Amino acid sequence: MDLRFLLDRRHFLRHTVGGLSGVALTDLLVRDRLLSAKEQTPIRPKVDPQNPNRVRETHFPAKAKNVVVIFCSGACSHLDTFDYKPELVKMHDKPMPATEKVITFQGEQGTLQKSPWEFKPRGESGKMVSTLVDHLGEHADDMCFIHSMTSKTNTHGPGENFMSTGFTLDGFPSMGSWAIYALGSENENLPAFVAIPDPRGKPQSSVNNWGPGFLPAVFQGTDFNASSPIRNLARPTQISPREDEDTRAFLETLNQRHLQEFPGDSQLAARIASYQLAAKMQLSVPQITDLSTEPAHVLKKYGADDTENKLKAEFARNCILARRLIESGVRFVQLFNGAYQTGGEGTSNWDGHKVLKKQYDVHGPILDQPAAALLEDLKQRGLLEDTLVVWCTEFGRMPTFQKGASGRDHNPSGFTTWLAGSGVKKGYTYGATDEFGYKAAENVTSVYDFHATILHLLGLNHEQLSYYHNGIERRLTDVHGTVIQDILA
Amino acid sequence: MTRTVCKLKIIAFCLVAILFHSLPAQGEESADFGKQVLPILESHCVECHGANLQESNYRLDLRSSALGTADFGDPPIVPGNAVESPLYQVVAGSHADEITMPPEGEGEPLSAEEVAILKRWIDAGATWPDEFAGNAETKLTTDHWSFQPVVEVRPPVQYSMHVKTPIDLFVLQKLRTNNLDFSELADRVTWIRRVYLDLHGLPPTAAQVNRFVNDPSPDAYAKVIDEVLASPHYGERWSRHWLDVARFGESTGFEVNRDRENAYYFRDYVIGALNSDKSYRQFIIDQLAGDVDGDEIGTGFLVGGPYDMVKSPDINLTLMQRQDELADFVNTTGTAFLGMTIGCARCHNHKFDPIPQRDYYALQAVFAGVQHGERELTRIASRNTVDQIAKMTAHLKQLEARFGQLREIAASIESGDEQSKKLPAVNARSNVDRFPPIRAKKIRFTILATNSSEPCIDELEVLSKDARNVALSADGAVATASGSLEGYPIHKLEHVNDGKAGNNHSWISNTSGSGWIQIEFAEPAEIEEVRWGRDRNGGFNDRIATSYRIDVANDADQWVEVASSDQREPFTPNSADAFIRKLPKDQADEVRSLFASIQEAKNQLTAIKKNVPKAYVGTFKNPEPIRRLHRGDPLAPREEVDPDALSVISSMELSGDTSESGRRLALANWIANPDNPLTARVIVNRVWHYHFGTGIVSTPSDLGVNGTQPSHPELLDWMASQFMDNGWSLKWLHRQILSSHIYQQSSRPRQDGLDKDAASRLLWRFPPRRLEAEAIRDCVLLVSGALNPDAGGPGFLLFRIDHENVHHYFPLKEFGPEQFRRMIYMMKIRQEQDDVFGVFDCPDGAQVIPDRSRSTTPLQALNLLNSRFMLGQADLFAERTQAVAGDDPVRQIEFIFETAFSRAPSDAERQAALELADEYGIAAVCRAIFNANEFLFLN
Repeated sequence: MDLRFLLDRRHFLRHTVGGLSGVALTDLLVRDRLLSAKEQTPIRPKVDPQNPNRVRETHFPAKAKNVVVIFCSGACSHLDTFDYKPELVKMHDKPMPATEKVITFQGEQGTLQKSPWEFKPRGESGKMVSTLVDHLGEHADDMCFIHSMTSKTNTHGPGENFMSTGFTLDGFPSMGSWAIYALGSENENLPAFVAIPDPRGKPQSSVNNWGPGFLPAVFQGTDFNASSPIRNLARPTQISPREDEDTRAFLETLNQRHLQEFPGDSQLAARIASYQLAAKMQLSVPQITDLSTEPAHVLKKYGADDTENKLKAEFARNCILARRLIESGVRFVQLFNGAYQTGGEGTSNWDGHKVLKKQYDVHGPILDQPAAALLEDLKQRGLLEDTLVVWCTEFGRMPTFQKGASGRDHNPSGFTTWLAGSGVKKGYTYGATDEFGYKAAENVTSVYDFHATILHLLGLNHEQLSYYHNGIERRLTDVHGTVIQDILA
Repeated sequence: MTRTVCKLKIIAFCLVAILFHSLPAQGEESADFGKQVLPILESHCVECHGANLQESNYRLDLRSSALGTADFGDPPIVPGNAVESPLYQVVAGSHADEITMPPEGEGEPLSAEEVAILKRWIDAGATWPDEFAGNAETKLTTDHWSFQPVVEVRPPVQYSMHVKTPIDLFVLQKLRTNNLDFSELADRVTWIRRVYLDLHGLPPTAAQVNRFVNDPSPDAYAKVIDEVLASPHYGERWSRHWLDVARFGESTGFEVNRDRENAYYFRDYVIGALNSDKSYRQFIIDQLAGDVDGDEIGTGFLVGGPYDMVKSPDINLTLMQRQDELADFVNTTGTAFLGMTIGCARCHNHKFDPIPQRDYYALQAVFAGVQHGERELTRIASRNTVDQIAKMTAHLKQLEARFGQLREIAASIESGDEQSKKLPAVNARSNVDRFPPIRAKKIRFTILATNSSEPCIDELEVLSKDARNVALSADGAVATASGSLEGYPIHKLEHVNDGKAGNNHSWISNTSGSGWIQIEFAEPAEIEEVRWGRDRNGGFNDRIATSYRIDVANDADQWVEVASSDQREPFTPNSADAFIRKLPKDQADEVRSLFASIQEAKNQLTAIKKNVPKAYVGTFKNPEPIRRLHRGDPLAPREEVDPDALSVISSMELSGDTSESGRRLALANWIANPDNPLTARVIVNRVWHYHFGTGIVSTPSDLGVNGTQPSHPELLDWMASQFMDNGWSLKWLHRQILSSHIYQQSSRPRQDGLDKDAASRLLWRFPPRRLEAEAIRDCVLLVSGALNPDAGGPGFLLFRIDHENVHHYFPLKEFGPEQFRRMIYMMKIRQEQDDVFGVFDCPDGAQVIPDRSRSTTPLQALNLLNSRFMLGQADLFAERTQAVAGDDPVRQIEFIFETAFSRAPSDAERQAALELADEYGIAAVCRAIFNANEFLFLN
């Protein structure tokens, strides 16, 4: 093979060192970069180092300004929530007709099992939704279901990485990081991207879910929830407000003098600005996280007043926090339901391997009412007009029970997600799994397609949103992904 | 492709051709290549797949290319099978992705007759006679700069009073062509601070500053450079750079994220290699093959990355996990040493660089035997230990040899001499107890002892005289038990007579060492045999009932014992010693004593081996065969690939049976070869990058076509060749750079410079920048006086670790001297960043980071202002100030400025600081100082 000519032919695609007349953004972001693999020129966000999260332009007019992702960690079963399979009822306890012997994550399969929860038609669409998520089911007319999702892996860590970052490996930027890298945020006094961990702890893939990967740290998700505040946000108690103020004033004196030696240096100016932003954040974040101003009927609607189910009440408070963040213009909120820290395998998340009924009877109520109330609240306040709500999980579960157990094993071949809010069809169902809900069969959808669609709704071309790292122009969608046109309103 | 590979290819092709020649292709005759086939290719294909254009990297005017591969790696022509040949598919309109050739509007479609000719030709073996082979079997070539040999360059002639080293000449020439010039020399304080922060990640002490500032000798600068490079702090600082490139971390990452308690050996290895100025060549060899040539700890490089420990019986998952591991080895090696994104060729030929997909798999084959895990460090174990191990191993071998002899003797003795009437000892798989036929309604199997834990029975079969298993629950028999272990669906009472054997269908008692099973038959039966086992699949050897009794009851519920373990040879862990029975007494006694001695020797060996340190530096096993994977899909394997390196540079000429370590060593030597055009350029550029903030090539891990062009190509080559000539010495290189004017000049902005080159790539000034997370933390500790200088060994923890299956980490609330060591000695747990400094763009080792971002965020400000760690440090700095400077407030402020900024305060600063200190104490001043830009920037 002689590549010489090939290279010549492609010379036009590359551009040479472009930084020589670069502007003052140098160190923050500007890494003079090249084309993406698909030969589309990347659109570089213009980041102001003194306010790196200032609102930036979309690639084209956006349908949605903000995103709330409700992430059910541990792989929430589509067959017991939103994907109704009458065949499963008919074939209950019979072996799944399959040519090959199915070996899944934990091994061999037992018989097909209908859901322990009944499915009921909902709303005008008549969408069948299980009683496990009764409250959410009532909003089926607002939801746009994708029943044909597929993943690339059947283990949780890589699965959550894939759903949150587009890669199964650790260390890639999360969806939210990409979004704020591209778009900044409406409210500069709050973090642009907030991850709200479940009251029970962090999800299986932990901080990878909201990490910046190789994007600058300014684009990482800031994690806090209604019960644990941002670390180091508050002025230490042993320092009085006056001392704090005077110390900052002294710091400002030092920094200004130093800046005089480097007039116009954007890095130095950015650091000075970051202290001003921090001070604003110290004022605005506590206001947002203080739920005491919420009226009783709101707390009740979310279930935050539930004294019997403490976890539900805590998750409800996280849902209220999510709404308040969106209301205040935070670009991207990732709300987790389910955690690993206090016990995997279904104890504190959706990983129902062994005793599905017992475990989901715990998790369902924690999720259901609060998440449904969040959706309803956003809608009532008109926030759904420009907010996209995404419900997802890392993969689905088997229509069979595991051999020798009464729970379902992992299934990356077919699962459900739904979207609601601006830009997507209402009461709509896209794609389908086979008759048992085992494999995606109609309009098979990849996580890449899912991500491409979310970026599209935010006004971003997933093929042009990239960042150069270690020799490669990286994208949320790697080299894949097609926007699911059919679900766009 | 090298000539050898091409030759092999031709041979392979000929074999295929001969093979298909000898097989008449379904009665059809092949088409004549020269008269029929070639004209079709020439008129329809060659315009885009020929000498001028090679769409999809494929040309049809050369035999080697035509019968080779194209983008996406698959051969378009499959000799002997037209239907499976993509080339045929695209012209015949049968391609799965509906690709048709020629593309619409770019040429005449082939006629049906032409398509038929191609089909006949391919089906008959695609014979391509020599006379049409085309010009020489061409080698893969490229004109991209980094693949060209490093050339000897003479520094340009430039006149300037500032020029100090040849480096300055190259830089000055480029500056002048852009109508720019150097900046003035920085003042001495700025320079010494720069050198210390850059090389040590720590500021100089006031004494070091004073000595230099007041040193009138002409070699004052050189003395500082020598001092800085001789200090062990140099390795502590610069190892961090390499560990970023090696994506080194001390936990597995992914969901279980277990800590690697002895991975730190590799960190210490890197520090040591830098401090001792190990030649970079050996540094390469150590890290790829130090177990066979060099320092065995070096191979920690290979397994420094994350590792998905969650395993499953699902084969798809297992194959993909292994592919990801191999990809990690190949990619990290490729980017770290060669500055090539070889991983891009995993699914198809590289889009930009001359790296065919096959090269990627050839490199996979180099690493095919590498596994994550700990290895015994036999070379650094003490002499004594090594000797003991050798002695004990030899002793054990001797014992085992004699044991083997006796076993053979036993085997030669005719069996049948019923010296002992006893049944063989119980075993885990299957045991049979026979007794005279007896009428029974129930049977009870009572366990009196086990070899471990609660007893397990996978199936209890009771055979009647007519050889029927009357114990089956399916036939109405009912099992009861003394008690059953709860919570395990695979271990239930009902499994003991369900007709299914094996651990997954077994019963376990709920009491350790005892329990009973009783089975009541549907009808009384004449029974004569009981068969039972612990795991008939042979997977488990624990929980065996070693002492037991079998009783049966008649219809009247009268019980009688029918069998017991007393009728058996005693159970021993080594069931193989059943052969003892056949031996005469003295030899039998010898076996027994040998057996004891072997156990003893094994125990001793295990004990001695505990003195051999283990480290997370990988293990090696026989290489698995590597196949090229169509589109990188493990379920679509293609031809087997032998180990090799990048074919565009040269072949390593290894055969497929090269040993595992031979492969790695060959690659190490191939990379460390002075003729390799990439190796020296890559490292020289990295060093430049860390000194100046940006490399001569600003993409330090990509010197390929998609990387940036070098800003100073001649300088890069001059440094690369000089570096090799000077023993691949990194300290030599540092010295060259530190001695130059460009490193000694001021970092102040100049209008003409900013106008023409805001990023300072041309180096009209020294480019200032913020320090990294580790340097900031270390500087704080040094200045506060808390820095604990303990070097090496296990890292300190910032967490309390919950050692469950999945490890959980809980940040410590209190810090002490252990946590006050330098941050390089912090155990680097993935996904668990330091609470204060993590947000300063500190990578967590999940990905290779050749070039850290430097972002500025409000969270950084909040952490430095408010965290418990930083407040504690401000207090310690205040205490230190008090202790050193006494009670005089002016002296205190001066000490604080000198220590933190290496300078005296200005009048205004002194005044402001005094007021603050007066009101709130000097800790308030210290807190502000730690947040100041001047403190956090390298100027």
